[in-house]
Amino acid sequence: MAMSVEEVEAAIIEKAKKAPKPQLYIKDFYKCAPDMKPRQIKKIANKLVEKGELMFWSSGSTTMYARPDRIKDEEGAEGIN
Amino acid sequence: MAKHDTPMLDELEKGPWPSFVTDMKRQAETHPECWDILGQLELSYEDKITHWKHGGIVGVFGYGGGIVGRYSDVPDRFPGVEHFHTIRVNQPAGLYYSTENLRALMDLWDKYGSGMTNMHGSTGDMILLGTRTENLEPLFWDLTHDLGQDLGGSGSNLRTPSCCLGESRCEWACYDTQDICYALTMHYQDEIHRPAFPYKFKFKFSGCANDCVAAIARSDFAVIGTWKDDIQIDQAAVKEYVAGNYPANGGAHKDGDWGPFNLKKEVIDLCPTQCMWMEGDELKIDNSECNRCMHCINVMPRALRPGKEKGATICIGAKAPILDGAQFATMIIPFIEVSKDNEYENIIDVIERIWDWWMEVGKNRERVGETMQRVGLPTFLSVMEVEPIPQHVKEPRSNPYVFWKEEEVPGGFERDIVEFRKRHAA
Ligand code: HEM
Ligand code: HEM
Ligand code: SF4
Ligand code: SF4
Repeated sequence: MAMSVEEVEAAIIEKAKKAPKPQLYIKDFYKCAPDMKPRQIKKIANKLVEKGELMFWSSGSTTMYARPDRIKDEEGAEGIN
Repeated sequence: MAKHDTPMLDELEKGPWPSFVTDMKRQAETHPECWDILGQLELSYEDKITHWKHGGIVGVFGYGGGIVGRYSDVPDRFPGVEHFHTIRVNQPAGLYYSTENLRALMDLWDKYGSGMTNMHGSTGDMILLGTRTENLEPLFWDLTHDLGQDLGGSGSNLRTPSCCLGESRCEWACYDTQDICYALTMHYQDEIHRPAFPYKFKFKFSGCANDCVAAIARSDFAVIGTWKDDIQIDQAAVKEYVAGNYPANGGAHKDGDWGPFNLKKEVIDLCPTQCMWMEGDELKIDNSECNRCMHCINVMPRALRPGKEKGATICIGAKAPILDGAQFATMIIPFIEVSKDNEYENIIDVIERIWDWWMEVGKNRERVGETMQRVGLPTFLSVMEVEPIPQHVKEPRSNPYVFWKEEEVPGGFERDIVEFRKRHAA
């Protein structure tokens, strides 16, 4: 059965909370909704950034996702409001 | 922020060429933080290691791109560059600015940043170098509200599309590069402003094979103008070139001592596919062999022109990462129509077919060209639903096996792997 958007959001947040490293690649979220197209998952993850559940974090040339409260380092914390 | 001693950097001011050190010193007169760039760079030269830190910030509110965060790791010594973020501003298609717009941009940047710029970055954007986090939102507000301009892409986003100046000035343009560049920039706003992919993805549009935006070397998705039918020849003009009445290359090389124009040496012998010859005083071209390289047209623009059935070739997968080295894009679609009448629907189809596949199969930080290399061209062509043609073949085969799919063999074949493994364990 296809997952609802809310279920996917919850799975993504769960993953971002529990992953060993705070920063995740978009691909790390694909497994949260195996039946969904990557571009849809990307849209959901980006919506979560808008809602403040996730933040973008840049390594310099790649963009990653993180839970804001898991990013301690000064550059990260002030990065996105 | 005071001046630092920079004996090693000062060496770079010697000699006849322009020097960024001189430029920065001049800039420091009005923006003293520029002394700290020079001071920190001198320290890097001494320590032989960078003192910049990467990471963190990526955008203004709602955006996941356009700002590239940079911080000093020695802010106590160089407070002026404690934060030194780079801002990408989406350039206008074909790089047309009014002086009024440029002045307004520079005033904005003098107000909120170091005043230093880099025009244009390899993505194509205007690069505004060096500002602090707290200036980002006010700058973005003024940029979008007062100047009607926007940030470009960075990070794992669709990067700001760029194009040659195309039909606006160039008679060789085989499609309207500026129009498609603008149309796709608008169509893919979400992908430009928010991360979408395993890594960066770039579109570039050149109107012909002269490829003035170097699409084939710099973009994951290069759209390069070409034509299907025959090169248009004006034999009377050919005679004028031979007689020396028209300057070769539009006069571009007239200051050099090249001697009189020699059609055989400068055109026929340099044709990469050797498909041109003279019959009496008529120039002939075997158009079925011509690969539309533009060389002969560049040399004799008044005698030769691109054909009339115009469109583009799509080449995919250029990249220049440090580790695996650079590669040119590979020709995938030899000819596609490029027309604003269908709002570029056919091009969008191709783009999204690549994205759907690459987002699934591409590894983190893998450019689509690297994914293609990893799976091999035959697999990529079947993903793209493109029939292989001889022009896809880069070199003679190095693998002796031939693999057939069932539907490719007349009559097919029955092959039940489970049954087979019962008898022959792997
Ligand atoms: C000896 C000193 C330097 C050398 C040789 C150098 C060389 C280069 C080269 C070759 C590029 C790529 C150009 C392109 O294809 O667009 C580049 C880009 C760039 N440089 Fe420099 N550079 C130097 C100093 C600096 C300094 C001091 C800064 C900042 C204060 C800087 C900031 C940048 C930026 C931000 C880009 C990327 C532009 C983009 O986003 O595409 N560079 N540099
Ligand atoms: C030793 C010094 C530095 C090294 C080794 C370095 C290395 C790199 C590398 C490997 C990339 C990624 C290239 C890629 O996209 O594959 C990059 C991107 C970049 N760097 Fe640096 N960098 C240095 C200094 C700087 C400085 C001083 C600045 C600006 C103050 C800067 C600004 C940028 C920008 C704007 C990008 C592009 C990011 C993007 O494409 O989104 N870098 N640099
Ligand atoms: S790429 Fe071709 S069409 Fe575009 S400006 Fe250059 S020569 Fe003209
Ligand atoms: S365009 Fe290039 S390949 Fe074609 S005839 Fe001219 S020189 Fe030869």
